[in-house]
Amino acid sequence: MLEVKNLRAKYPNETSLLFKDVSLSIQQGEKVLLVGPSGSGKSTLLQILAGLIPDVIEVPIKADKRKISESYGMVFQDPDAQFCMPYVDEEIAFVLENRNIPQQNMAPLISQYLDQVGLQLADEHVSVQQLSGGMKQRLAIASVLALEPEVLFLDEPTAMLDQVGTKQVWDTLKEVSEDKTVVIVEHKIDHVLPLVDRVIILDEIGAIVADGEPNDIFSRFRSKLYQYGIWYPNIWDDYARQLPNYAQYDNVHQPIITMDSFQGYYQKQIKMHVNDAVIRRGDWLAITGENGSGKSTLMLAIMQLIKTSGEINYFLSDNINTCDYRKMGYVFQNPELQFITNSVYAELEHSLKNSEVHPEEFADRIETHLKRYNLYHVKDHHPYQLSIGQKKRLSVATATIADVDILLLDEPTFGQDAKNTFQMLELFEECRKNGITIVMVTHQPEIVELYATKEWRIKDGELMERFDLSRVQENILKDDMYVY
Amino acid sequence: MSISISYQPTWLHQINPSFKLLTLTALFIGLLFVHNPNFLLYMITGIVVLYLFGTGHRWKVIGLLAIPLTIIFLSSSTTMIFFGEGEQTWFKFGLIHITEESFYRGIHLGLRSMVFGLLSLLFALTTRPVYLFYSTMQQLKLKPKYAYSFMAAIRMLPIIVEEFQTLRQALKVRGVQYSKGMKGMYEKVKLYAIPLLAQSIRRAHRIAVSMEAKQFSKNNKRTFYYHLGYTNKDLLFFLSLVVWLMISYVCSNQFTVFPVEYVR
Repeated sequence: MLEVKNLRAKYPNETSLLFKDVSLSIQQGEKVLLVGPSGSGKSTLLQILAGLIPDVIEVPIKADKRKISESYGMVFQDPDAQFCMPYVDEEIAFVLENRNIPQQNMAPLISQYLDQVGLQLADEHVSVQQLSGGMKQRLAIASVLALEPEVLFLDEPTAMLDQVGTKQVWDTLKEVSEDKTVVIVEHKIDHVLPLVDRVIILDEIGAIVADGEPNDIFSRFRSKLYQYGIWYPNIWDDYARQLPNYAQYDNVHQPIITMDSFQGYYQKQIKMHVNDAVIRRGDWLAITGENGSGKSTLMLAIMQLIKTSGEINYFLSDNINTCDYRKMGYVFQNPELQFITNSVYAELEHSLKNSEVHPEEFADRIETHLKRYNLYHVKDHHPYQLSIGQKKRLSVATATIADVDILLLDEPTFGQDAKNTFQMLELFEECRKNGITIVMVTHQPEIVELYATKEWRIKDGELMERFDLSRVQENILKDDMYVY
Repeated sequence: MSISISYQPTWLHQINPSFKLLTLTALFIGLLFVHNPNFLLYMITGIVVLYLFGTGHRWKVIGLLAIPLTIIFLSSSTTMIFFGEGEQTWFKFGLIHITEESFYRGIHLGLRSMVFGLLSLLFALTTRPVYLFYSTMQQLKLKPKYAYSFMAAIRMLPIIVEEFQTLRQALKVRGVQYSKGMKGMYEKVKLYAIPLLAQSIRRAHRIAVSMEAKQFSKNNKRTFYYHLGYTNKDLLFFLSLVVWLMISYVCSNQFTVFPVEYVR
């Protein structure tokens, strides 16, 4: 059994308490899902229940009563930040060594744990770096199982995975967690629901607003979940319902980029090939396809950031016919890598300095942009101090402030909560209305359906199918379902 | 991005890493007291043979790594040859002043840096870091908390390389321009180091937390997945080294190449 009574916690440099007298107890064998908006302290609560706080991570906490489990395992969010050994077998062996398992027993145990999570590898001595994100997370589960824990803590284990990986991981977890107590923090909850028998909702300041059985919670607190940006099933329908109807989109605009027999290389090998394709002004082009199919390669090739061959023509404003970064914005997956100054304001200023915008206009334009991207209140912060959503918005703002013609986005909504995602999509649509062509890689079919005017499907490095989309939202509303 | 290098394990790979490390360190220190370039020359031929045929790496890798070795040899020897002091002048032109003494001193210096370089490469090419740390824990009683920190750090390197490439692209897209000269260098270092460090520090913290969550460091006693003991390969390595040192010594006395015996 896990229990905290009247818990209070405070992060250094924060003025307010994170929890104010939160009490919670979890019975043995219970499967609990914790949800809440970003910053509600779900992960912190998970770490307190596990005992990582304050034993490993020093955060001052105070509680009248705190009962934690002696044997627990925790799966974390980032697949690249939870292994210390280079090879799969060595990683699980690391746990077995910690438990003082004799060496001769290790090899069969390693196979057994890998088997349990469905990682059947021909050779168990395989480099961790070669595994896909979903496989890495299953390896993380295997190494946690090697602890033989009574309680499993899962801290957004699928936040950085695509849909295939997400499903694999939850299927695996359902199988291995039957006899264990499980506490889950997650905001993508489609696949989690079949696993849990209790849902707890935290609000912005970490207070428990609801605690109960999943069906009950989802019928009573649907609007709260929407407000907090939780990806509950069918949230896209609720979102689509309140969107304005878009004007019918006509497909006769001037080309902005044309490609023919265009190829992108990675380490001297052709990784992507496009035959006779056109991107037109005003398009919202969604590039879809499985992981590793060459979507990002296509984006990098269009930006001439990798070696290319074949024909590509740019028709940018001011008669520019080359790949000119003053006219083409690019937003990388990790926004932090694009920040080069010490404040939000200076980031935007830097983008303008490289453009043809007159210096007298800078102040006005930066202010408008800060307000539009909801960053005005943090304009003097260091970019690294921002929340994940704010960082993403800032990287889009730096890419669009200087009158670009086209904006390329590599999975801009990946790993974001629903609230941030919707906010970003609306910003992109506003950019598009202001004349910026949008090209984005996405895995989310709903984004394609709601917003894209064109879709390119990439398969094995080849542009296989293209669609002109009508952008009529009624399509989604037809198969609306309210059953959970 | 994969930077894994494939190789065929050889007998040099099977030597106990701690033993190899200690032997080579002893050799390094010993070589500092050698002042006969003839001895170094014979010594080097043996190591070159091992380097070329003993590491089990592909010719491409061996060849590529030989380039910096050659540069080290040339740069360290020529500086001494051209600018060193001496009395028997052979050639003089402006600042360049080659004397007999400086020439042999240069050759000696070049040979010495090359021996050091070759031995280090030989060690690096034939030792898996994981085995080295397991062995230092088992034979040299290194504390597990240090050994595993190093191993976790090594695991992060390929991720950092990947991040570096993305960062380069990102800075290009943002239209970053550098000043000329030293100031530009400083700007570059700052623009690359801060984001890479920030990402790495955060990742290191997360890895540390996840290691502790896996019951690392709760107790000092632990079992080991790999057992690294001593084998007859270690003896072979040690004996061949001793034998070759003796051969080099005899040859350097019998068949001198350079007409000097003592250089410092």
